[in-house]
Amino acid sequence: MSSFFCALDRGLNRFYLACGVIAACFLVLLGILILLSIVSRLLGLYVPGLNAYSGYAMAASSFLALAYTFREGGHIRVVMLRNALAGRARYLLEVWCLAIASFFACYLAWFLIRMTWFSYEFEEKSEGADATLLWMPQSLMAFGATVMALTVVHALIKTLVTGTPDLTETAQVD
Amino acid sequence: MEYLALIAIFLTILFLFLGTGIWIALSLVGVATIGMMLFTTRPVGDAMATTIWSASSGWTLAALPLFIWMGEILFRTRLSENLFKGLQPWMQHLPGGLLHVNIAGSALFAAISGSSAATVATVGKMSIPELRRRKYPENMIIGTLAGAGTLGLLIPPSITLIIYGVTVNESIAKLFIAGVIPGIVLALMFMTFVMLWSFLKGGTSEDVDAGTTWADRFSALLQLLPVISLIGAVMGAIYTGIATATEAAVLGVVGALIMSAAQKSLSWESFKESLLGATRTSSMIAFILAGSAFLTLTMGFTGIPRALAEWIAELGLTPWQLIVILTLFYVILGCFLDGISSIVLTMAVVEPIVRQAGFDMIWFGVFLMIVVEIAQITPPIGFNLFVLQGMTGRDMDFIAKAAAPMFLIMLLAVVVLSVFPGLATWLPSQM
Repeated sequence: MSSFFCALDRGLNRFYLACGVIAACFLVLLGILILLSIVSRLLGLYVPGLNAYSGYAMAASSFLALAYTFREGGHIRVVMLRNALAGRARYLLEVWCLAIASFFACYLAWFLIRMTWFSYEFEEKSEGADATLLWMPQSLMAFGATVMALTVVHALIKTLVTGTPDLTETAQVD
Repeated sequence: MEYLALIAIFLTILFLFLGTGIWIALSLVGVATIGMMLFTTRPVGDAMATTIWSASSGWTLAALPLFIWMGEILFRTRLSENLFKGLQPWMQHLPGGLLHVNIAGSALFAAISGSSAATVATVGKMSIPELRRRKYPENMIIGTLAGAGTLGLLIPPSITLIIYGVTVNESIAKLFIAGVIPGIVLALMFMTFVMLWSFLKGGTSEDVDAGTTWADRFSALLQLLPVISLIGAVMGAIYTGIATATEAAVLGVVGALIMSAAQKSLSWESFKESLLGATRTSSMIAFILAGSAFLTLTMGFTGIPRALAEWIAELGLTPWQLIVILTLFYVILGCFLDGISSIVLTMAVVEPIVRQAGFDMIWFGVFLMIVVEIAQITPPIGFNLFVLQGMTGRDMDFIAKAAAPMFLIMLLAVVVLSVFPGLATWLPSQM
């Protein structure tokens, strides 16, 4: 691979990690929001929408971390067949998995972006007490799904170009 | 006929995607998408987006990452060292001796970690070398670990119970409380087995460290006290209704951070690692849950759950027959999938059947935890067995044989739970 592609590869991996770190911050934010709701209840105050905000933080955290988790081999899969194969057959199986995964990751990202766009266009608001404009939390989720699609396609292209399975040992859960 | 062909295509794609090793969450999204295209003329992508959005931004789900984080923090304290030191003086005089440390240690760690593989790995890391040094038979060391490791799904806070609760819309607090007594009963059953084994072998506790005084015992216990009281406080807050499961989870995180700081094992490094670890695990699970919410929507359009529920109802099975069938079903499924995936994948179909049969959904959740755990120690593919294989270097045959008695004990536990459903339902009904 040319040095440009190597640099691109490294840069993208750093980008996934950065998204993972932001996701971790949203997890901390989720904890703080729930703490706030406990404290405010103890003080007899009512802060509208805290529950809804923690839901948004949860969604943002889960989706922003998708790509980073994928790179770290954190998404589980059934590896029985993969372990039974070796060499060429294993490589082809990996290409099949990555190709299907790329397609549906892109499909998901596209429709989450579309949903967010419609929420923005029609200024949709949450039905809860928070009345948040939904495109704001939704865009974080759509962004996370897009980065996920990027990393799966990235892995597919890299596997095809290098001719060896790109992914480091993925979670051997099954 | 055409309908049956569609069902066949749908199920074939499901098994093809999962079986060839496409990441489970994306498999679910893919299968659900194709299913909706086959069975409806609705705009698939938009339905997917809104379903996944509402499944992922729900407030009840928030307990999940927080409990995982709490476990990750405690995992990085000196807990596993303390576990052995703290339990040893108490357990060594029981018939069967330190094998009980495996069981009690797993029960305790299960309350912290929620994952059975992590329980086996953590407890085993400390206890396998110690027990080997004292010449305990290898098959008993491995067997007790394999069996007791499965307590992780039953003893709260259990990640898998949260997932079940979110999937079938039942109170997570109640499910947690429901798991307590069956978890303790199962642990006692394992311990009884070890004692019986010891009596039959006719051995005395050959390995007592002489001169353990009561002072030693209490100072050892003191090291475990913070963890025990943290878990006690979290569960107490849920049980008394002071806090919801989510709020208790955040209190658990704060408590774990304070504890780990007090033990001086909290550093920026360990904080960062625990947080990123929790972020990864909960992202993985949340993605699977999102995919399964979409698959559940599709399943509704296919009509499979309703047809199956009606068919089962027509068969006029007794509840016992249904329990046997479901147990077999999940044990077989567990040969291919981990616990979380087999639950989210099947609930769309199984929930209507179980509700129609009139089972209590809280009871069923506890039943499901035991059954799914049985699958984790069943060869050829049981995840706990793999962990033990990695840790002991024994071959799978030996490990599976060592775990076989535990398998039977857990089946017995399913029978006990079915004969005395109150074991699971009584405590939550007192809340």
